[in-house]
Amino acid sequence: MTTRRNLLRSGWKVGGALLVAAAGWTSWEALRPLAGSGTGGKIPLGSPDQVPVGTAQYYGEGRLWLANADGQFFALSQRCPHLGCGVPFCESSGRFECPCHGSVFDIGGEWISGPSPRGMDRYTLTVEEGILVADTADLVNGPDPGADQFLTPPSGPSCAEGA
Amino acid sequence: MGEITELDRDELLADALEPGNDPTVSGWRGRVARSEAWRSVFRHPHLDTPRGRALQSFSNVFLHVYPVKVPARVLRLRYSWRLGYIATVLFTILLATGVYLMFFYTPSTTAAYGDMQQLRTGVGFGQLVRNVHRWSAHLMVLVVLLHLARVFFAGAYKRPRQFNWVLGLALLATTLGFSFTGYLLPWDQLSYWAVTVGTNLVNYVPIAGTTIRDLLIGGDQINQTTLLRFYVLHVAVLPGALGLFLMVHIWRVRKDGFAVRRGGVGAFAEGLTDEAATAMILPPGDPADDDETAATPGRVRLLGVVDRESVTAEERLVDDTVFAWPHLLVRHAVVALGTCALVLALGVSFAAPLRDLANPELTPEPAKAPWYFVGLQELLSHFDPLVAGIFVPAAAFLGFLLLPYVDRNPATEAKHRKVAIVVFVGLIVIAVVLTVIGLLFRGPGWQWTPPWTHLYFEL
Repeated sequence: MTTRRNLLRSGWKVGGALLVAAAGWTSWEALRPLAGSGTGGKIPLGSPDQVPVGTAQYYGEGRLWLANADGQFFALSQRCPHLGCGVPFCESSGRFECPCHGSVFDIGGEWISGPSPRGMDRYTLTVEEGILVADTADLVNGPDPGADQFLTPPSGPSCAEGA
Repeated sequence: MGEITELDRDELLADALEPGNDPTVSGWRGRVARSEAWRSVFRHPHLDTPRGRALQSFSNVFLHVYPVKVPARVLRLRYSWRLGYIATVLFTILLATGVYLMFFYTPSTTAAYGDMQQLRTGVGFGQLVRNVHRWSAHLMVLVVLLHLARVFFAGAYKRPRQFNWVLGLALLATTLGFSFTGYLLPWDQLSYWAVTVGTNLVNYVPIAGTTIRDLLIGGDQINQTTLLRFYVLHVAVLPGALGLFLMVHIWRVRKDGFAVRRGGVGAFAEGLTDEAATAMILPPGDPADDDETAATPGRVRLLGVVDRESVTAEERLVDDTVFAWPHLLVRHAVVALGTCALVLALGVSFAAPLRDLANPELTPEPAKAPWYFVGLQELLSHFDPLVAGIFVPAAAFLGFLLLPYVDRNPATEAKHRKVAIVVFVGLIVIAVVLTVIGLLFRGPGWQWTPPWTHLYFEL
């Protein structure tokens, strides 16, 4: 039965709940990561012919690799999808080899082996006036394991062995 | 509560202040002790009688954390190995050294690393304080884990102490939070990549993982925002949380009473007949009265928290209790000094690591999470991330959380709780093996690298 006493009794609880909700909301608004707070923005990578087929070049400002996989270009985020380590390109094997936990990716960033759940993540790549431009605000998850479009045998010894 | 009335107190005070009643309060010391100023600070005189000592405990904010009297068995080192107490001492050391370090540290990606170098070379005893802080932090994680294991094996999480076990887990989580946030602050390669690996574990939480990770580090990679967040968590939020949890945890130790291993009903009960034992415990209305046998650990009422009748009744029944001051406090003082000596020795002998300045473009080989997360990292290298990164840790944590409510077996002796002990020991063995493999047997590319060929191990 609704009496004034009951109304007051539940009223302060509702007030308390509202206060908690308000605190949660304001905290979320204050602390939530802003979109594009990472590197963000478009980064010009230069003309395509400076990266020969089967090699990759590092761009520090975007923390990405520009890889030429059989004439097709990919802007691969250096962050391993496994645990975020920076994945270097191994010149001798022609593959990406993560130093942390041993994930290996082919020249197109496709998963070959190791604990990574998928291939290397890719930034959207466009050509503007003959120059490749990577949009670092637009990251696409790498292909699932099983993709082997660019898989070739290693061109030489792995960088991890004997390290 | 009628333990000692105002009237008693006045009487005692008057007695104690009578010259000649207490040989320590004669001459000039007596005059000081009788002065208005002294008595305004110290509310009680020193009086060497049981009541005087009890009064001393009641009226002293520091002493009142302890019971006035404790069962004699509590004095034995083997009773608890003092692990909870050692953890508290380490926390105090960490507070003191941490405040000192704050004077010399700026939470900025451009200044932090330089501050660490300056601390090492340009601040008197700066390196030593940092070493002590770091080794105390590692030790605290270890001691808290050992404390958890000790409480488990003693069966001390059982009724009525279930909730204190839960509080203990909250304290464990806070301790790990402390250690993990502190790990980033030096802003060297070791901190940067260990925290990168550690925070990316959160990514594997289904649905909300990335959001939680982004909220924690304030973006999608570790940067200035992360450093500031971790700093604020480390020096303000977590100390507050740990202080609160610790307060309630210790208060519950007092209120729930000391745990007993053998089949008595309370700390006072060893060697009692069942009737006498049942007579002296359990407040009215406690369900343990009717549905359990006298072989269950019951609730212990200590002097000062029960009414006068039952206090005197207890004292008539058994007098195996001793005064906490000095008997227990002296032992605690020795343990505290020993702990200080240990971390000081570690700090003098081993320097806390400081690698190169954090470089987001260059990952050192191998990048390992802090040692208490390395087992998880090792697990992740074998199984699907959803299983190893989320299902296993979540199940383990939930299992621990619910343990005192699921394990309704009242027995505390090992022979009557084989299942619980086998499961627990199994978990410990798995965790230790994974940690040792990850810590000592993994090299670049997470390849199998035995420690005798090359040791990739950092604390």
